[in-house]
Amino acid sequence: MASKPTRTAAEEYRPNRYVSLPAELDPATYDTSPEKRRAEAERLAIRARLKRQYLLQLNNPKPPAVIEDPALLRWDYARTHNVYPTFRPTPKTSFLGAVFGIGPILFWMAVFKTERDYREKLTQEDKWRLGFSAPLHSNKTHKDQTYCGSKAAGRCCWQPPIVGGI
Amino acid sequence: MAAAGRGGVLWRQAAGWLWAARAAAAAPPGARAASGLTKDQLPGPYPRTAEERAAAAKKYNMRVEDYQPYPDDGFGYGDYPMLPNKSVHERDPWYQWDQPDMRRNWGEPMHWDFDMYIRNRVDTSPTPVPWHTMRNHFLIFLGTMLVMFALGEIYPSYRPVGPKQYPFNDLYLEKGGDPNKEPPVVTHYKI
Repeated sequence: MASKPTRTAAEEYRPNRYVSLPAELDPATYDTSPEKRRAEAERLAIRARLKRQYLLQLNNPKPPAVIEDPALLRWDYARTHNVYPTFRPTPKTSFLGAVFGIGPILFWMAVFKTERDYREKLTQEDKWRLGFSAPLHSNKTHKDQTYCGSKAAGRCCWQPPIVGGI
Repeated sequence: MAAAGRGGVLWRQAAGWLWAARAAAAAPPGARAASGLTKDQLPGPYPRTAEERAAAAKKYNMRVEDYQPYPDDGFGYGDYPMLPNKSVHERDPWYQWDQPDMRRNWGEPMHWDFDMYIRNRVDTSPTPVPWHTMRNHFLIFLGTMLVMFALGEIYPSYRPVGPKQYPFNDLYLEKGGDPNKEPPVVTHYKI
């Protein structure tokens, strides 16, 4: 059965947007090239510098009331204040804006209109009762009337009484 | 002609006033974020030149090679770095993080969707079974059950039933029959 080339475990796993590749199957975790090591060392240097800044503030005999995190402030600023200045109307953003902004309004307009027209039609044909969310059905739907308890009333099933006017 | 010319000037004036009013309402000039960060330390527009990229990488505490902004599609990301879409679940639970509940160190750049990837929410950690296998198994099961239930609705099968037989002449008094009158005799069976 060696007709097709064997796939690696990573290719069999097929990571996607919802799951990541396990570290055991990722060849990058086993790579020990000098460039990778130098990159890791640089990242460690940055982490160590930040850790030192944080611990100096934390272990201060008179620490500040709140140790501000500039990364958190930048994240907050980027998500709130930086969106509008960096936004640009392009074909893609205009299309998505129309689909998500105007589309639901038009959709629900159509849904409500057709629903109310249907109810109006039933009311004209006297098949609708206010407060009862389904059209009334006739006696002909049940084949055997001894099933139903309301033989005296002359109707098929129990219906709420018509109260007041419209 | 004169009216159109005058109308054009008024239109430009009105547009200018509206623009100034909107800019003033958004943030008056000279206003700053209520923190110790200066304007160059806050996120800005998409970096165009290599110097801007280097400055942005330094601002976000990242290596220049690691720094990768979101593509400039006009979606409003600016120069914010595009970090790998991995949730907090995947981070080492045994390392001494500065913020253990969020598994994050002070000053580390946060993912754009950080609030989605916290440990109470989306989990992207690797699964024992590949995701496509799980999806296929689930859809096959769901599809089979739906098909069987639909068939059961279209072609119901149950033991034969007859109408329900109520006592006391088909519950004549309980249904509001006149107690002074003789009820109609209802015979359900004969022994």
